[in-house]
Amino acid sequence: MFAELNSILNSSPESFKQGEFILVSDRQTDASFLIHHFLSFYLRAGCKVCFLGLVQSFSHYSAVSQRLGVSLNQAREKGQLVFLEGLKESLGVLLQGDTSNGTPALDFLRDPSSGLRGLYDFVHGNIRGSEGRAEDWGPPVLMVDDLSVVLSLGVSVGAVLDFSHYCRATFCSELQGTMVILVRCEAEEEEEESDEGSERLQRGLTHQCSLTLQVQGLPTGYCRDIHGEVEVCWRGRCDGLQIQRKLFQYKVCDKGTLFFARGTSSAVL
Amino acid sequence: MLLEVLQGTEAGGFILLQDTVSYSGRHLLKSYISTALKREEEVVHVLGFEACEKEFRDGLDRTNAQRLHFHNAYSDPLGWTGNSAFTVHQFTLEDVSTLIKQTPQAKAVTLVIDSLSWILRHHDPAAVCQRLQALKKGGAVRTVIVLVHTDMHQRGTVGSIRHLATSVVTVAPGTRGLGAVAKTTRRTKSGKLMQDEETFSINEDLSVTIHSKLSHPGHTHVNTDETEVDPTANLTFNLRLSDTERQAKEKLALPFVFSKEKKSALLQPGPGSGRILYEPDANDDYDQEDPDDDLDI
Repeated sequence: MFAELNSILNSSPESFKQGEFILVSDRQTDASFLIHHFLSFYLRAGCKVCFLGLVQSFSHYSAVSQRLGVSLNQAREKGQLVFLEGLKESLGVLLQGDTSNGTPALDFLRDPSSGLRGLYDFVHGNIRGSEGRAEDWGPPVLMVDDLSVVLSLGVSVGAVLDFSHYCRATFCSELQGTMVILVRCEAEEEEEESDEGSERLQRGLTHQCSLTLQVQGLPTGYCRDIHGEVEVCWRGRCDGLQIQRKLFQYKVCDKGTLFFARGTSSAVL
Repeated sequence: MLLEVLQGTEAGGFILLQDTVSYSGRHLLKSYISTALKREEEVVHVLGFEACEKEFRDGLDRTNAQRLHFHNAYSDPLGWTGNSAFTVHQFTLEDVSTLIKQTPQAKAVTLVIDSLSWILRHHDPAAVCQRLQALKKGGAVRTVIVLVHTDMHQRGTVGSIRHLATSVVTVAPGTRGLGAVAKTTRRTKSGKLMQDEETFSINEDLSVTIHSKLSHPGHTHVNTDETEVDPTANLTFNLRLSDTERQAKEKLALPFVFSKEKKSALLQPGPGSGRILYEPDANDDYDQEDPDDDLDI
């Protein structure tokens, strides 16, 4: 959890806006530090977190969270964290090939055209299942790292957008929870014309979300002291104000991330 | 012209509201609904795919709220959870007509679709166009207002829907961060096309304020560019000389120009400098007439 980012987003584990859909996207760089931030943030806030880890193993997230002062193992044992380890589960689905074992969550691996309904049912079931029991966790949170990976597994952009719409209807509107989704944009500019692709997915999700954090590498290339730029963009929903943007540069450190206004890095001043 | 479209001065029609990720058209859509609800006889039906009812009704005047019928296609548009009020597959002429017939006493019905992008993702564009056209012709609906995210579709798909529309409003963010720009294209009954570009902002009570008109943006830009520019206007050096400067310049002696003083100084040998003495030898055959006689050419 990065205190600086909390003050930028005007939130803290004690009080944060509910019903938000946060879209994290990156281009030519890696925005997973923000996923680690939000994971530790919502675990500290006492929310029930459902994490779909599609690109890394549980031990990876666990190791990073340990550094940020949150134990994923404990949270998992307490039932606060539901973790879908995509890499492990998908192996079971692909190698054994029969539907009896393994969750139906990853059914799309076998038949990409069927869409992500299985994955939604998994998420929905986990959140609904916990509702009957003691209500000791805060509003539910869904996190996905990263959603664009299902595109390369053959799922169409439309199916992914249907999935995110259902998640948004359930988490943000019905249960007043939060959603954090990471998507990766391919750097190719010429891709823009084609109708299927991560660009289109990102645009579709941007239409749905209420806050975007767009991470980009520096246009001038690699720099030791500034790792990239984050554009924070609040998309006005009910108030007449439309879109509000702020641009920061950041540097990922060992135990946190520094955010500063453009051109005010300690290496420059 | 945006206000005329919003106020529906020309009764009936099909209004297409186009937006992109950089500026959402939903606020403008809501301000249309709010003006429509102010008209006494008007009933508004909303097919809401992208915003929940609470979010949609937020900001709209509560006194007229009972004339706004929200059909919830947001929470379960595909029938996954089995508690859907309206699914995307129900977007057919019959189903939409039955929805509208729930208010048989209504004189004028406005159908709002938020947004058509959802429907286009699950239906063939040609079928969507046919159904929209049928709704328009059917008579049950007086006005159809449709929101489309243009950056989610291929150009041809949006183009074919534009052909159906009587008014097309394209919104984009304003250039100086203030307000937004709306490009309005309206087709009158006689077939005449009118185009206009205005900057506007939406107030708290969802009323629209027009700030300025850019009626022919292409021409105005060209004119400003063509004004005569003086290239010598902002130079960092001086191109002209004052009289004193000219005198100073003329006084200055340039280093490689021979003046009289310089020439005489060089030609007058100073004291103690070397001389060349030439005493002709006896062998020397010096011919005054031809000094180069001894050269063997």
